[in-house]
Amino acid sequence: MIERIAWLWPEIILFLATCVVMVLGVSPRLALRRQCAFVSGLALFLAAMVAIATGPMATSPWPQMVPFMKGTAGFVGLLTLLVLAGTVDREVDRDQELGRGFAALRANRAEFYAFFLFSMTGLMLCASADDLIWLFLALELTSLPTYVMVTISTRRSRSQEAGVKYFFLGALGAAIFLYGFSLLYMGTGSTDLGAISTQILAQAEGGAINDIAMAGLVLSLIGVSFKIAAVPMHFYTADVYQGAAASVSAMLAFVPKAAGFIAILLLVSTVGWQWGVADTAGVSLGAGHSLPEPVRLLLWVMAVFTMTVGNVLALLQRSIKRILAYSSIAHSGYMLVGVIAGPQGARFIDNGVAATLFYLLSYGLMNVGAFAVVASMEHKGEEADDLDALRGLCRTRPWLGWTMVICALSLLGFPFTLGFFAKVPLFTSGIAAGEYALVVILGINSAIAAFYYLRLAALPMLEEPVGEAPALTRVPARIVAGVLSAGAALGMVLVAGFFMERAARAAVPGLFDGTHASQSATDQIARSGERRADE
Amino acid sequence: MTDLASYAPLAIILLMAITFAVANVVLTLLIGPRRRGKIKGMTYESGMNPIGTARKRFNVRFYLIAMVFLVFDVEIIFLYPWAATFPNLDPSSPDALVWLFRILFFLLTTVVAYLYGFRKGVFRFD
Repeated sequence: MIERIAWLWPEIILFLATCVVMVLGVSPRLALRRQCAFVSGLALFLAAMVAIATGPMATSPWPQMVPFMKGTAGFVGLLTLLVLAGTVDREVDRDQELGRGFAALRANRAEFYAFFLFSMTGLMLCASADDLIWLFLALELTSLPTYVMVTISTRRSRSQEAGVKYFFLGALGAAIFLYGFSLLYMGTGSTDLGAISTQILAQAEGGAINDIAMAGLVLSLIGVSFKIAAVPMHFYTADVYQGAAASVSAMLAFVPKAAGFIAILLLVSTVGWQWGVADTAGVSLGAGHSLPEPVRLLLWVMAVFTMTVGNVLALLQRSIKRILAYSSIAHSGYMLVGVIAGPQGARFIDNGVAATLFYLLSYGLMNVGAFAVVASMEHKGEEADDLDALRGLCRTRPWLGWTMVICALSLLGFPFTLGFFAKVPLFTSGIAAGEYALVVILGINSAIAAFYYLRLAALPMLEEPVGEAPALTRVPARIVAGVLSAGAALGMVLVAGFFMERAARAAVPGLFDGTHASQSATDQIARSGERRADE
Repeated sequence: MTDLASYAPLAIILLMAITFAVANVVLTLLIGPRRRGKIKGMTYESGMNPIGTARKRFNVRFYLIAMVFLVFDVEIIFLYPWAATFPNLDPSSPDALVWLFRILFFLLTTVVAYLYGFRKGVFRFD
């Protein structure tokens, strides 16, 4: 157990920074309180660098994914932090500057940054999970702080309503996947993901996977779909994203989603992509390159409904935040295609898991920009959320306008933006895995998405501004975040090869190697026993 | 399905629990005395006299005190198993040192919670 600490330094760094921020943020001195964002940013940067330098985590089912996801979390988190800065406590700071004293009970800065760091710690812990209990705690550590952040992000009752809704539905989701975990434990007799995997393979060679284990896996996936806002559990998304401040919505669109996808990849890696397509539970182990039929069918239905529901409902919205919320549902559906396709093939474009990981990175980078624009369009404490606010934005506020145009086009997957290079591998990996119907549905959905994304791009670029442009509250960090995000959406294309290669390397599973036919389950059990004895 | 037989004690306990709960309610209804009166119908029978309604505002600080209590309470719960295990470790092994630093780190988080509460004004009663 103790050797694992060597891989957990990023989390420890983040946790120590959380302690510092917690105390700094309630300091009576304004200058000290203003350091919270800086300390958080420094910790995130350090954590990401340490994670990348530490390298693969041997005990994880995806050893190479650990540094990749922690690095992604750190850098997208940094970008999100730029948007988050200045969300809370502006009135408290102004009061103090005007000499009205400092009311510690009213200030929320300590909680806000500390909970953000807690959530990032949870995300990184998710990436290094190799045990169901660890995974559960990490997922909850990611989610619980976000409930509070939603609630304190603005002083309006809308935020509180959103926070309560998010909390109760989140608890429901957690209950479902916890029940799934307990069934998985009942069906395999272990909470260690590696041991579960060997047990399932042994069961499959003896006839079929234990029904209880399979039911547990299915329930876990359904419960985790809350975190990624996929279809059976997507209802909260639009209301919560709209009720929270846009800056917090930017975080919600990435952090829980990344944690959810890591959890899904960890869970399905226990069965692996090595089953025949047409057969049910496991008779044709090693015969194919697909997930077991019940799991594949579940993810297939989830992916199709998630994409379609997200995109169609996004068409009907007038609120920018709701459009982005529904589009974030749709993006989860796209990424599920990569999970279904699985980590086959040595090349990046055939590897579905690599495509999913690269998409997560790209989505995280380009999505922040869109939310940063919404967060920046703040007039007298109220975010301009209606589509009309975007009209002619490129004329009145060029930086914000062009950021919105570039980010919307990139989210759409417009050629020669980052979104395009992220989406193509999802198509190619789906084709390589033989999921033709799914790829066609993915194509149709991208076409539907074009309608509302092109509207988000056309309104600022082509329309004339309506009336006088309202005076916006200036938060320079948000504009910087938006511009960086738009810059990434264009500039990352030049270095996409590097990140794709990293993603392909990250998507090599450690539990099974895709050619299971050559080795029997007994070998695997022996290997796993050695591994556990080493610990 | 034969291994379901091993769950028989569970089923019996479940049955007993249900019977106990239902029997208590039914028996009270059947044989319990029924006296009514003004005093008997009070919110806290033979307790405090209620003043005013329940829809009264009270200081939000009570939540903070409850939370701070929880922090120290949970801390103590974790200290017990640690204290029970620690003497069994070989003092010369590196494990012992790791265990010591683990609990010190854990206690550090309490100090942070205390500092946070102090700065937030939880311990100030005015």
